[in-house]
Amino acid sequence: MTGPLARAALVAVAAASALQAQQGDTGLDARVPAAAAAAVREVAAQAAARGLPAEPLVQKAIEGGAKGVAPDRIVAAVRALAERLARARDAVREAGLERPAPDVVEGGAEALGAGLTPRQVRDLVRASRPPYAPALTLRVAATLAALGVPPRQALALLEGAIAAGRAPGDLLDLPSEVQAGVARGATPAQAAEGLARAAAARPPQGRPPREPPPGQANPRKP
Amino acid sequence: MTGDREFHPLVKRLLDGELALRDLPPELRAQGDEALRLLGAVDRAAVTLPATLDGQVMERVRRHAASPARRVWRWLDRPREVELRVRLRPWGLAGAALAAAAALALLLGRPTEAPGARGAGAVAAAGAGGAGGAAQRDSALVRFVLYAPGARRVAVAGTFNRWTAVPLVPGGASGVWTATLALPVGQHQYAFVVDGERWVADPAAPAVDDGFGRQNSVLAVTARGGRTL
Repeated sequence: MTGPLARAALVAVAAASALQAQQGDTGLDARVPAAAAAAVREVAAQAAARGLPAEPLVQKAIEGGAKGVAPDRIVAAVRALAERLARARDAVREAGLERPAPDVVEGGAEALGAGLTPRQVRDLVRASRPPYAPALTLRVAATLAALGVPPRQALALLEGAIAAGRAPGDLLDLPSEVQAGVARGATPAQAAEGLARAAAARPPQGRPPREPPPGQANPRKP
Repeated sequence: MTGDREFHPLVKRLLDGELALRDLPPELRAQGDEALRLLGAVDRAAVTLPATLDGQVMERVRRHAASPARRVWRWLDRPREVELRVRLRPWGLAGAALAAAAALALLLGRPTEAPGARGAGAVAAAGAGGAGGAAQRDSALVRFVLYAPGARRVAVAGTFNRWTAVPLVPGGASGVWTATLALPVGQHQYAFVVDGERWVADPAAPAVDDGFGRQNSVLAVTARGGRTL
C-alpha cells in the first residue's frame, strides 16, 4: 500500500469512529431549530458521558422539531428526559443490572414518566427474569399507568402475569385487557385488580424455572 | 377511531370482523350501524386500465432509450478493465493492520446486553426496542385509521420512523383516512398530523404525555400484528 493510501485508510477509520460517536444525533441539525440543536447536542453528550443512552434524547428533540415546538421547550423536555434516564439507570442498577442495555434504561424512564417510583422500577426489573425482558415489562407498566391504573396495581398485575407464566409477548395484551374492562364499566384500578385475581387463580402455564438448571450458574445475583 | 368522537371498543371489534352486529348490546347497534356504513363508503371499485396503455408506455420507453443523452450515458457507464498495482511495505502493512483492528473494535464494541434480555427472552427484548432503534427481528403490517371529515391532508408520524410524517389516503368522501405501514415488533408512540400543522392523538388508543404539553398515542406491535394498547 502506498503512503497516501495508508494515510487515507487511517483517516477513514478515524472518520468512521467520529461518525459512530455522533450517530445519535443523525438528522438533528436538519430537523431541530438551530437555537435548540446545540443545547440538545450538549445534553446528549453529557448523558453519553454518564453512560446514559443519547438516542432517546435526540429522538425527543426531533419529535419536538417535527411538532413545531418552541426551541426552549424542546431543550427543557430533553433535559427532563435526561434526568429521568439517569434515575431509571440508577433504579435498574439497584435491581442488579450493572450495565443495563439502552432500551431497559429507556423503558425505565418511560415508567418513571408515567408515575412509577424508582423503587417500583427496581422491583419490576427484578421480577423480569428471563424470558421476560425488563424493557418490555417497564413499557407495559408505563402504558398501564397512562391508562389510569395506579402504579402499585400495575406492578402487581405484571408480577402476577409473570408468576402465572404468561408468554412474554402476551404481556403486551394487558393494557387492552384493562381497556376492555373499562369499557364494561370498571375503573382502571378495578379492571387491573380483576385481571390480577384471574391470573392468580389460573394454574401456571409454561412457567419458566425460577432456579437455574443443575450445573449452570445463576444468571442474576441481585 | 374518529376525529371528533370515539367508537366503543365493541364497535371497533365489529369493524375488525370479530363480532357481528347482533352481538352488540342494543344501545350500541346504532353506533355499529354507523361504523359499518362509514366502512362501506370506502371505494373498493376495481380500476380498469385502457387496453392501449401498454403500447403507449412501451412507445415512450423506446423513445427515451433512443435519445442521444441516454446513448452518451451508456457509453460512460460501460464497464472497463482497470489494472491496479499495490506495492506493500512493512510500515504500510502495520498501518493497514492497525486500521483493520480499529474497524473491528468499532464493529464489535456494542453495549453489553442486560442479563434479563438474554437467551429465550432475546426476541421479546428486541420487541421492546422499537422506539429506541434496537435490533428488530420482526415486523408486522399495521393499519392506521383516522376519521377526519373536512381535512385536506392527514399523516401519521411516530417513534417508528423518527417522527417523519407519512401520508394517509382518504377513502372517498367518507372522511376516513387510512395507511398501512410495516412496523417493527415492539411498542411505539405516534400521533396524526391533520392539514400539516395540527397534531392529534389517536382517539382510540391510550395516550401518554409527550413532554411538550401534548399527548402521544401508544401502539403495540407483536408478531401476530399491531393493535392499539
